[in-house]
Amino acid sequence: MSTLRLMWIVFRKELADGMRDRRSILSVVVVASLSPVLLGGMFTVMASRGKNANEIKLPVAGAEYAPAFIDWLKQQTGVEIVPAPADPEQAVRDRKEDVVLIIEKDFSKDMARAVPAPVKLVSDSTRDSARQTVTRARTLVTTYSSQLAALRLIARGVAPSIALPVRVEDVEVSSAQERLATLLNILPLLLVLAALTGGMQIAIDTTAGERERGSLEPLLLNPVPRVALAAGKWLAASAFGCVSVVFSMLLTVNVMRRVPWHDMGIRFRVSDGDLMSLLALVLPLALLLSAVVMFVSTFARSFKEAQGYIGMLILLPMLPGVISTLYPLSNRPWLAPIPIVGQYALSADVLGGKPPAVAFYVLAGVSVLACALLLLALISRLLKREAIISDASGGIKPPGPGLPWMACRPRRPSSSRSMSAVPVCGPCCLTPRGGSRMDSASRSAISLRPLQMAA
Amino acid sequence: MIEIRGLRKKFGAVEAVRDVSFSVADGTVVGLLGPNGAGKTTTLRMLSGLMSPDAGAILVDNADVVADPIGVQAHMGLLPDSRGLYPRLTPLEHIEYFGRLHGLDGPALRARAKVLLTLLGLNDLADRRVSGFSQGERTKVALARALVHQPRNVILDEPTNGLDVMSTRAMRDLIRGLRRDGCCVLFSSHIMQEVSALCDRIVVIAQGKVAADGTPDELRSLTGRENLEDAFVALSGLEAEEVS
Repeated sequence: MSTLRLMWIVFRKELADGMRDRRSILSVVVVASLSPVLLGGMFTVMASRGKNANEIKLPVAGAEYAPAFIDWLKQQTGVEIVPAPADPEQAVRDRKEDVVLIIEKDFSKDMARAVPAPVKLVSDSTRDSARQTVTRARTLVTTYSSQLAALRLIARGVAPSIALPVRVEDVEVSSAQERLATLLNILPLLLVLAALTGGMQIAIDTTAGERERGSLEPLLLNPVPRVALAAGKWLAASAFGCVSVVFSMLLTVNVMRRVPWHDMGIRFRVSDGDLMSLLALVLPLALLLSAVVMFVSTFARSFKEAQGYIGMLILLPMLPGVISTLYPLSNRPWLAPIPIVGQYALSADVLGGKPPAVAFYVLAGVSVLACALLLLALISRLLKREAIISDASGGIKPPGPGLPWMACRPRRPSSSRSMSAVPVCGPCCLTPRGGSRMDSASRSAISLRPLQMAA
Repeated sequence: MIEIRGLRKKFGAVEAVRDVSFSVADGTVVGLLGPNGAGKTTTLRMLSGLMSPDAGAILVDNADVVADPIGVQAHMGLLPDSRGLYPRLTPLEHIEYFGRLHGLDGPALRARAKVLLTLLGLNDLADRRVSGFSQGERTKVALARALVHQPRNVILDEPTNGLDVMSTRAMRDLIRGLRRDGCCVLFSSHIMQEVSALCDRIVVIAQGKVAADGTPDELRSLTGRENLEDAFVALSGLEAEEVS
C-alpha cells in the first residue's frame, strides 16, 4: 500500500478522534473567539474615549455678561454650555467639575474698548484625567480670541497675517490606513496564536498522549512507514490549526467591522483581498507550528510533560508579534523567508495598504513548508528510535500469583525519568538472582539515551 | 514459522538478552516463560521489529525481520505488553483502523471485524467508546485489532492478564483455533495451567538465555519435578532466591 494512502488513513483517524476530544474543540473555540471579543472591546473603549474628548460640557459662570461669546461657543461642535456651580473653585477642588469658565462682569465693556477682556479658567493641573477637557476649553477660548483679533485687524485695514509671524501646521505623516495598521498589528498576532493553539491539543495527544496511553507500541506494529504515521498526525493537527485561524479571522473581522471607527477618525477598510492575503500568510504557518509542537511532544513521555515544554515554546511565535508593535516590521519584505518574522512583516504591509509582491508570499510559504517538512523528517526518525517504546506505559508487569520473585519487588528507579546514571535498587535487589533487578536496570539504561537515533 | 537464532541485545552495560534461540513451527503453540526482566519482552520486541538485535537473526516465514520489518509485520499479529487504546474510539473503530493500516477495506473489513467481535464476545460493546472499559475488555479489543489481518504468525504477551474466567476460556479457544488454522503462536505467560493446557512446547528464558526448551513433559522429566511450576522455578534458577 502506498505511503500516501496510509498517511490518509492515519489522518482520517486522528481527525475523527480529535473532533471527539472536547479539549481540542474547546481550545479552538475559546482562543479563536476570546481574542476578537477582547480586541473589539479594546477598540470600542478607545473609540469612545476619542469621542469623549471632543464632547465637552462647559460650566460657565457669568454667561450673561458675554452673550456673543456664548453664542459662538454653542455653535462649536460637541460643546454644551451648562450653568456653573455656586463656588467654581471649590467644585474643581472637590473634583465635581473638570474645568469652569468664569466671565467677568466687565467682559462686554472691555470688548467694546478693545482692551483684553478677562476670563478665568478654573482647573487643577495635577489631575491627569481632566487634562483633555481643560485643553479643549482653553483651545475654545484662544480660538475665539484669535478669530476676533483677525476681525479687528481687518476692520482697521491690516492683514491678519501680520499678527501671525509664525504659523504652526500639524503634518500627519501616516495615512489613516497606516494608523489603522498600527492598531491592527495585533491581528496577525492573534492569528498566529490561533494557528498555534488550534492544532496544539491534537499534536500533543497524537504523540506524547499516544505514548502515555501505551497505544504507540501497538500502532508501530502495523506495517506502516513511520513517515506515513508522522505525516498523517501532522496533517490532522494542521487541519485543526487552519480551522482555528479561519474561525478566528472571521470572528475578528466581524467584530472589527462593528467597532465605531469613525469616532476615532479612521475608516476601517480591510478588503476581502487583504484578508485572503493574511490567510495565505498565516495558514502555512499553522502547518509549521503544528510540526514544531509535534516534534517537541515526541520527546515527552506524557501529556503533562509535553505541555511543560510547549508552555515555554508558546512565547516564541508571539515574540516577533510583540516586538512588531514596538518596532514596526513594515516595508521589510525581505524578511519573508524567516518563519514567523516574515509573516508578521508581510502582514504589516498588507494591513498598511501596501501589499507586497506575490513572490514574497511564495517565498514565505515555501520557507515555512520546508521547515515543517524538515521537522516531519525528524519526527519520523524519532519514531524509529527504540527508546520511543521503552518508556511507554505497561512498565512493570503485575507478577503472577504466588511466584517467587514477587518477594522482590523492584523499586522503580528514580532515574527512569531523570538523567541519573546509576540505577537505584532497593536492598532486596542485592540478592544474586533478582530477576526484577534486570527490569529496572534495563529500563533506566534505555532512558539514559533519549536522543539516540536507531539505525 | 518463527526462527530465532543467537539473539543478543544490550542496553548500555546491561545485557537484557544474551543468547536466545528457539523456533516456532506452523500449527504449534509455544509458551515463553521467564521471570520479570528475564528478557521476554525485549525478545518479543526484537521479534516484532521494534528493536534491532545487536547480534543474531530473526526469520519469520523465512523473511528477515531486521532487513524488512514492515514486510514481516504484514504477516504478524502481535498483542504487545502495552495495549493502550484510544479512549474516544469504539472497539469497531479500533479494529477498522488497524485493518485499514493492513490494507483491508470495504465489506471484507466489516465482515472480518464482525467475526472478531463475535469471537471475543464484544458485540454488545462494539459501538461504545472504550474509555470506560474494564481491563479484560481492553485486552479483548487490543487482541481483536491485532488479529484483524488474519496473521499467520501470532505473538501474544500475557494474553490472559486481567481476563475473567469466561474470557480466559474464550482466549484459550481462540489460541487453539489459531493452531488448527495452521498459524504459529508464541505467547508469554505467568500462569502455569495456561501454559500446560495450551502449549506444544515451552521455552524458558532466564537472565537473557534460554534455560530450557521442550514439551511440558520433557521439562518435568528434565528437572525431576512432578509439578510444572516447580520445574519452571528450578529451570529459571530461582530456587536460591526462594530459599533466601
